[in-house]
Amino acid sequence: MSNHRILNRIVLINIANVKYTDIELNGNTCFVGANNYGKTSLQRAILFFYSANSRSLGISSSQKPFEEHYFRFDNSYILYEVTTETSPFFIMVYRHNKLVFRFVDSEYSPDFFFNENNEALKFREVLANLDKKNIFYSNQIDTFEKYRNILYGTETDLKLNKFFLLRGNEKYQNIPKSITNVFLSSKNSIDSRFIKDFIASAISNDSDAIILEKIERQLRQFSEKYQDIESFLKKETQQLIEFAEHKYDQVQILKNSQIEAAEKLGATLKYADTQHNILLNTLQEKEKHLQQIKEDYEALRYSIEERQKDLREQIGFYDGMIREAQRKLEIYKEKDIDTLLNKYQEKQKLESQLQVLQKEYETLTSDVQNIEVQYQSLLNNIQNEIHSVTNKINAQITEIINHYNELILLQKEEQAKRESTLKQQLQTTLFSINNEVHQKQIELGQFKSEEKISSNIQPYEKEIKQLELEITEIKTKIYTSKSELAIQQNQVETLQKEWQNIEKQLQQKFELASQSIQSKIEQLKKEILLIDKKLNIQENALYGFLEKNIPNWHLTFGKILDENILFKNDLNPQLMSSSNNTIFGIQIDLNQLQIVSKSIEQYQTEKIQKLNEIKNLENQFLQEQQKLQNEKLLNADKYGKQIAEIKEDIKVILYAIELAEKKEKKRLIELEEWKSKAAKETDTSLQFIREKIVIIEEELAILKKRKQITETENETQIQNTIAKSQQQIQHLKQQQQQEIEQLEVQRKNTIKELKEKEEKLLAEKQNIFQNKGVDNKKISEIQKQISSIQQQLQEINQYQNIISDYLKDKRDLFDNIPIYKQKKEEYITENKNILQQLEEETKKYKLTISEIQKQRKEIEDTLSQFNQGIFFFQNNLKETPVYKHYAPIIENAEPKPSNYNITDLCTQLLKNESYFNEEYTQFQRYINEFAGKFRLDNHFGFFIKHDASFNDYEKFAQNLRNFINENRIEVSITETSALATMIIDSVAIKIKELSGQKDKIQHIVSLLAEDFKKAEFEESKLIEYIKIRIEESDNKIYKLLKKIQEFRDEHGIFFNDGLFNTNNEAPKKTLSLQIIRMLDQLRSAIQEQEQQEIKLQDLFELKFNIKEGLNETGWTHRIDSIGSTGTDILVKAIIYITLLHVFIKESSVKTNKKFKVHCIIDEVGQISAHYLKELLRFAKSRNIVMINGLPNKSGLESHYKYTYQFKKEEDSSVRVFPSIITEVEV
Amino acid sequence: MNIEELELPRQTHEIFNILARGHFISSNGTKDGMNRLYEILSDPQNYEKLQSYFSVLKYKIEKANNYFYFSKTNEPPSITEKKLETFEKYIDIVDLFGSLDNKITIGSRFRPSEIAEECSANVRLKQKLNKIPLYRSENFLNKIREIAGMLARDSFLELEDEQTETYKVLDAYSYLLEVINAITIFGQPPASEHSIPSNSDIDININPN
Repeated sequence: MSNHRILNRIVLINIANVKYTDIELNGNTCFVGANNYGKTSLQRAILFFYSANSRSLGISSSQKPFEEHYFRFDNSYILYEVTTETSPFFIMVYRHNKLVFRFVDSEYSPDFFFNENNEALKFREVLANLDKKNIFYSNQIDTFEKYRNILYGTETDLKLNKFFLLRGNEKYQNIPKSITNVFLSSKNSIDSRFIKDFIASAISNDSDAIILEKIERQLRQFSEKYQDIESFLKKETQQLIEFAEHKYDQVQILKNSQIEAAEKLGATLKYADTQHNILLNTLQEKEKHLQQIKEDYEALRYSIEERQKDLREQIGFYDGMIREAQRKLEIYKEKDIDTLLNKYQEKQKLESQLQVLQKEYETLTSDVQNIEVQYQSLLNNIQNEIHSVTNKINAQITEIINHYNELILLQKEEQAKRESTLKQQLQTTLFSINNEVHQKQIELGQFKSEEKISSNIQPYEKEIKQLELEITEIKTKIYTSKSELAIQQNQVETLQKEWQNIEKQLQQKFELASQSIQSKIEQLKKEILLIDKKLNIQENALYGFLEKNIPNWHLTFGKILDENILFKNDLNPQLMSSSNNTIFGIQIDLNQLQIVSKSIEQYQTEKIQKLNEIKNLENQFLQEQQKLQNEKLLNADKYGKQIAEIKEDIKVILYAIELAEKKEKKRLIELEEWKSKAAKETDTSLQFIREKIVIIEEELAILKKRKQITETENETQIQNTIAKSQQQIQHLKQQQQQEIEQLEVQRKNTIKELKEKEEKLLAEKQNIFQNKGVDNKKISEIQKQISSIQQQLQEINQYQNIISDYLKDKRDLFDNIPIYKQKKEEYITENKNILQQLEEETKKYKLTISEIQKQRKEIEDTLSQFNQGIFFFQNNLKETPVYKHYAPIIENAEPKPSNYNITDLCTQLLKNESYFNEEYTQFQRYINEFAGKFRLDNHFGFFIKHDASFNDYEKFAQNLRNFINENRIEVSITETSALATMIIDSVAIKIKELSGQKDKIQHIVSLLAEDFKKAEFEESKLIEYIKIRIEESDNKIYKLLKKIQEFRDEHGIFFNDGLFNTNNEAPKKTLSLQIIRMLDQLRSAIQEQEQQEIKLQDLFELKFNIKEGLNETGWTHRIDSIGSTGTDILVKAIIYITLLHVFIKESSVKTNKKFKVHCIIDEVGQISAHYLKELLRFAKSRNIVMINGLPNKSGLESHYKYTYQFKKEEDSSVRVFPSIITEVEV
Repeated sequence: MNIEELELPRQTHEIFNILARGHFISSNGTKDGMNRLYEILSDPQNYEKLQSYFSVLKYKIEKANNYFYFSKTNEPPSITEKKLETFEKYIDIVDLFGSLDNKITIGSRFRPSEIAEECSANVRLKQKLNKIPLYRSENFLNKIREIAGMLARDSFLELEDEQTETYKVLDAYSYLLEVINAITIFGQPPASEHSIPSNSDIDININPN
């Protein structure tokens, strides 16, 4: 049992080189031993009790770690025994995979750890031993944190909360830190910076430090990104982008057009190649076909003409027959053939009558027959003579008639012949004219039909139709694209609005959350302030009084006290005689009341909780901020990408529209060209045809006139010959008449003579008959009748030849006239038909010929065009770089016919290539200039190599376009702004956190100053005073960081829209520039200073002023030497002890439970005994027990309560044993 | 305006040091904060102040397309002529650079090795390079290095990356092009017979030293 708590002993079992040692520490302890005997190791083991941090024991990285060096066996233990007001407890530390702790509610006893053979037990056996003895031991504590919480009294577990050394507050971590720092720094010289470090590291963690390397990296990133963005946003850069984009489009169009032309050229060349033989064959075929058609036509024409000749002959024959018949009919008509025929029909009747009359006469003259015969004979003779004369004259007349008839006939024949010749001539002429007319009419018809065809059939109709179709398609495409564009633009607007709304909502949400968090923090801060206030005043208030004087007051008196009363400091409480738990004499059942008052620990815990809550809230705020940034980035990513995609689509559509419009324009021009070409060609061909028609019509008119004239002339000639012939015939007829008349007169005279002779004979006969009695009258009458009939018969016989001729003619000719006419008509019709057939065939033939010739010409033209094109290609393109450039396209093209000829395509390629090169050079120039605006390794990836190919430039431009379309600059700005915000926030938070601790430093320094004042240096007069004061930091980096933090506090977050605000007038722009300048300065300062981190100690300057004897250091950072080394060690130790004291005081709760801690300072060998005494007393007055190391015994050890010596055994183990020295009371 | 009242930018000295050496400040220069200096000069207020300030020293700041330089007021023609002479070497260099497959233009980045390689593969370029009088003439690479070094010294180029020996063409390079374009050569060019047209608006900047 002790009146205070203290680490009473440390027992090492199988630790490092020590097999077993038991060291008492309940007073100033000194370890004496040569170097490397294990003094420091032992001190570290003691330090481990306080720090429970195996990594801050001052073990260098080259040495084995604490765990491995100390705990080498399963049965290695460090045991710390702590005395308390009641019974002591001990802590066992052993290795179970890692270092673990167990608190054992018992005094240390070796029996727990060793068996009867003095062998150390394994921890399970130890626990079994404890169990056997019914000793409570804690569960395995496997974290240093938990161990420290228990040791420093902040553990809430009721089972463990009694195992404390002292009751620490939320800053209790400073105690182990301070003890550690004293131990680790004891060898250093006195430098205020060290003290600063000490104070700072005591109250701050390593994690509190601002790692400058990280900030510098972030700043560099930010600066580079900022520079990149700034370069991008510059007006000139934007202008360059515009130029580059524009040129890119032009280059693309040209390239596409070149590729298109190359493809066309390739296709046309291949087509020309494949078509060459085909066209030649086709040409030959056409030639053959033409020949065949000509031959066929000639054959047909020949056969038709032959037939025509036959027909004409036939027509002529029948025509001649008809004419002959008509001529003969005319002649017979003139001879009054009808009358003759009628008379001829009476011949038989007359011959019968004559026979009857002759018989009657014979009968009457039978009596005078001889006379009759006689006379008859005479009469007959006369008659015969008359007949003979008549016949003779008739014969002569007939002869004359025949002769003249013959002459007339000859004349007529001649006339007919002449007429026929003339008609023949006329017919020939007319035929030739008609033929000519016919020919011309065919030609006319042909030209007219050609005119009709030409006016109806449009040249280049196919091309025009194709172009019109293409234009319609393009127009449809433009229309569709424009509607699509409108839709896409609407979509972009909608998305942008949506994005803005979401951003607004997010911002609002964040602001709400931020406000709520801030108000909570404010509230918590107020509450903490209240707690702090209570804790600060509790000592002088009723609460402190109760704590000091009334045990368990919380369970009794505390239940009815208001918190406000408890912390009133003007109540002057006094401890009076106990009145058995009454209140002003009244007793109440306190069990019915809840405990309302809180212990200091509870207040501390509450405060810690609230601080933690604030930390959590701050974290929450940061999370919210981060969340906001993330969501913004997500939105930027989501919407930006969507918008960019749509914008890209819009660009594509716009480009497609532009291209389509250009194409449309081009096609329209082409269409116009084709149309005008067609119209021109139509006009040319129509003009030619029309001219031809006019000529032919004129020729036809001339031919008609010629025909008319020929006919008239012919008619006149015929009429003249007819008139001449008529005259001659008339003349012949007159001669004939004269001759006939002369003969008639001769006959008349002869007959008259004979008649007179006859009459005489008759008169003689009648006389004879009369004489013989014959009726002469009767006979004479009969004779008259006979004579009359005979005359009539004679007359009829005269016409016998004519009639027989007529009958013959009638049979042969006249009756056949209708047949002849019919035949003639048939032949004429046939002739007409074959003429028509010939005409049609000729027409057909000519059309076919012209068509084939046209086709042939077209083929020849195409062939010649191909040949010319190939020749041009070979001579003008094949050897140029242009060809080499497009060779793969040209060579791999599929054969395809095109409207363009090879020469045109070659010319276009050559012409456009030079234009393309010009444009490409400019495009390259813009891209180079643009890329040159950025750093070599800019974060946009805008870099173009010197040997970049066209594809590289194209890729660059495409990437740039995508960059703009996807609005990646916005994303970059957001990221950079977020980075800046993050840097500034992190700087602000860290500086704030660090600055927050500055107050603590101020507080501690003032406590130190006070403690130094309290030091009783006067006694020895060795040190007159040690003064300490705090000054503003002159750390350049810290100043800048502070400036940034102040700026952040003043202006909040503003980067989201202000970092790259192009509006220079915008107030945020000025602020942006300010902060960017600050960040820039900070970066330069970090680079210049080469400082790794900003710690709490960089926030202030600490200065000392020490007066030792007559020496005064003045206000200085570093005290190189105050006096002797001993003095230095003393002062240093005093400062350490003061620091330790202050920290312990600050970090622990004032309760009625007292405690002592150790101050471990190695190597105090050079201090004089007097000073050591002074030092130990100084420590004692501050409840600090010293543990020091001495290299050897020098008498100093006599000032310590315990002295232990170190000895190395033969087996290289170290034995630690107490030295028998009487302590000189300090 | 009194110079004391000008409130000059703190980089004035730096600006003067560069410009007074006959060098340029280009917008795309990155070494030694050149782009920052360009920004400062681009600010109309700064420009005006600096112009007034330097005018006392008989210097005039000339603002061209993305670069600044000094010109001297009332410079005697003999000095201008001398300056022009220094351009002789640049004509061949610019001609060489302009004849490369990928022409060297503002913002171009290149390594001397790339150009040397191209020159050794191309007879025409080889001839052009051989025409340029240089001290180090062991091989093409050294020649190009010498050219690049000279241009960088005169602030037409910038050695952007020493490790990869990457040079960047600065905006001031267009000054070279403009002056060379403004030079009219009469007849067959004897070495120094070139002059600029009287109406030329190019201010000669090259220091004849």
